[in-house]
Amino acid sequence: MSLNYSQPLEISNLTSWLDAALRGCLAEFWVLLIEFVLVAVVLLAAYAVIALILIYAERKITAFFQARFGPNRVGKWGLLQSVADMIKILLKEIIKINRSDRFLFFVAPFFMIVASMLTFGAVPFGKGLHAIDFNIGVLYVTAVSSLGIIGVLLAGWSSNNKYSMIGAMRSGAQFVSYELSAGFALMTIVVLAGTMQFSAMIEGQRYCWNIFNGHISSIIAFVIYLISGHAETNRGPFDLPEAESELTAGYHTEYSGLQFGFFYLAEYLNMFIIASIATTVFLGGYMPIQVHGWEGFNQIMTYIPTYIWFFGKTAVLIFLSLWVRWSFPRLRIDQLLNLEWKYLLPINLVNILLMVILVLTGLTLTDLFPGLF
Amino acid sequence: MSSVSKYFSGLFTGIKSLLTGMGETWKELWTKKVTQQYPENRDTLVISDRFRCELTMPHDENNEHACTSCGICQMNCPNGTIRVTSKTIETEDGKKKKILDTYNWDLGMCTFCNLCVLTCPSDAIKFENTFENAVFTRDKLKQQLNHEGSKMREKKKEVKPVEPKAE
Amino acid sequence: MAQQIIFFILAVVIAVFSVMAVTSKHIIRSATYLLFVLLGTAGLYLLLGYNYLFAVQIAVYAGGVMVLFIFAILLTNKPGEDLRKELAVRRYAAGLTALVGLAFCGHIIYYNVKRVSSLVAQSDLTPQQLGHTMMGTDKYQYLLPFETISILLLACIVGAIMIARKR
Repeated sequence: MSLNYSQPLEISNLTSWLDAALRGCLAEFWVLLIEFVLVAVVLLAAYAVIALILIYAERKITAFFQARFGPNRVGKWGLLQSVADMIKILLKEIIKINRSDRFLFFVAPFFMIVASMLTFGAVPFGKGLHAIDFNIGVLYVTAVSSLGIIGVLLAGWSSNNKYSMIGAMRSGAQFVSYELSAGFALMTIVVLAGTMQFSAMIEGQRYCWNIFNGHISSIIAFVIYLISGHAETNRGPFDLPEAESELTAGYHTEYSGLQFGFFYLAEYLNMFIIASIATTVFLGGYMPIQVHGWEGFNQIMTYIPTYIWFFGKTAVLIFLSLWVRWSFPRLRIDQLLNLEWKYLLPINLVNILLMVILVLTGLTLTDLFPGLF
Repeated sequence: MSSVSKYFSGLFTGIKSLLTGMGETWKELWTKKVTQQYPENRDTLVISDRFRCELTMPHDENNEHACTSCGICQMNCPNGTIRVTSKTIETEDGKKKKILDTYNWDLGMCTFCNLCVLTCPSDAIKFENTFENAVFTRDKLKQQLNHEGSKMREKKKEVKPVEPKAE
Repeated sequence: MAQQIIFFILAVVIAVFSVMAVTSKHIIRSATYLLFVLLGTAGLYLLLGYNYLFAVQIAVYAGGVMVLFIFAILLTNKPGEDLRKELAVRRYAAGLTALVGLAFCGHIIYYNVKRVSSLVAQSDLTPQQLGHTMMGTDKYQYLLPFETISILLLACIVGAIMIARKR
């Protein structure tokens, strides 16, 4: 189903034109091949560019939270700082570690980056900008994102270093625990939306975002998802796998150059992916704000392209994540596991039951006020 | 208090304290930035008077200093940073007198402990807050503090000779 | 055409890494190779269009079981340190058994593959269908209670062992 309003600024106009042009002059097989390669190249480029922007934004916002200026020397307002850092990291030597398991040491960063790349592909950036749209989208995302932890564990093992090893073990325990909460929080919304497909989920949130639709239950699920997603990315108060005061840099202590860059990139992109999945599932994804019956308003809102809506909502969530990161001190490992197993998980289980009751008894907003939402 | 109500009160007080913390950082986000952007703000930069950066020997308008070349500063210096060399001259009235020849100070070895200034009996030296001391070679850190052709300020102004006499 | 190429790549990956998983001396490497095998299998499911099975394969085996394996290996003390070679007789016996097993399974699969593919006519499996099969009460449904019974059986077995061991 497509919107009935005119959308002059959509990229899908360009892509469908390109598709038609290719189909006009080439056979089906070659059209598909070219399009697959194009999609892959665009995704890889977007991956790198988003990481650069995120690194810049993070450093800048961090600085503002600490009453500093942040990077402001390279380019105007330091805009080229992360580009310079990227060039530096590409030029650095990849150090070989004595008595380490070379093969696993080499493979580990790829697990991280491939897992986050696979998840990245399933993110709906905008209308028609959606590389993978399985009918099990939510499940797919939780499944492939769990591959990253293997990279962390292997990196910790193969580095032949106690700090790396302890960092990897902590990271593993943390990830496995919080993966559970994140999955349950998403499942709560799957109950509400009645689908696992991202595109259908977004279409269902046209007039009422899921976070409002399931009121109490949705908000609890949203908060839990943000917390556990934040913990999964090993950031903020949950960054004890790489607690520099105890473990130097945790599992990536021994990595240098591009291999370290992979870990770094994956960490930032995981933050983006968590924010974008939360946007898609809870905040209506790329859907513009629309109200029943206000045709003029809806038209104006749809003039703003969908990808801007998506990135705007995601940026708000990323800011929230940074805000949390720079507000709270690091947790101890027992506090961390307490939070998950004693608070988040039981609340989550009750919450999913509550959501089922809400849906079955017709107490969601769309059921209560069918004309309004 | 039962364990159930403890669980929930703990949960809610926890959330409340987290929100308080986030409110604090939110306020911090909008405070004025405290970073000093050094090379640009040279004109407005304020360095404390007591900041010890460079040992100087103040000279007055007659190119006179107060150093008697007693060498106490040199003895008190823990690093051997200061080297005072003196020479003996004969004054007009025929008396032999020890005056300062060179006063050498090595910035590279100084720990800025201020012992020399504290122990100087005639307040001849003091630390300035001019902090831009970076130079390209270590030799440039070795400075001579007494100016060329300077001499000691006499206690009694009336016996001050007009011309400094060599030998 | 393209499907054939992808299938052969996946098949080679699965076969090669299966062999490497059992021949590698380092247990952690074996685990990694096994992970590649599981991922290759997931790729086959994806090729067949079984998205759900693909996701479950990755989530359960790659993301769950393998993490558990690797965790267990990390907790062991110097795994694979004192690994001795088996006796030649035993090795040949094991190889022979494996070959017989392969021939047996191959025979069954070869003569029944047509029948299986006729059973699996349905191409796209939606989560809704799956949910109904799990929780519904009609024919070919009621799957979840059936699966839960297996947990009950497992609990019975464990209990039986516990009782038997007590003496």
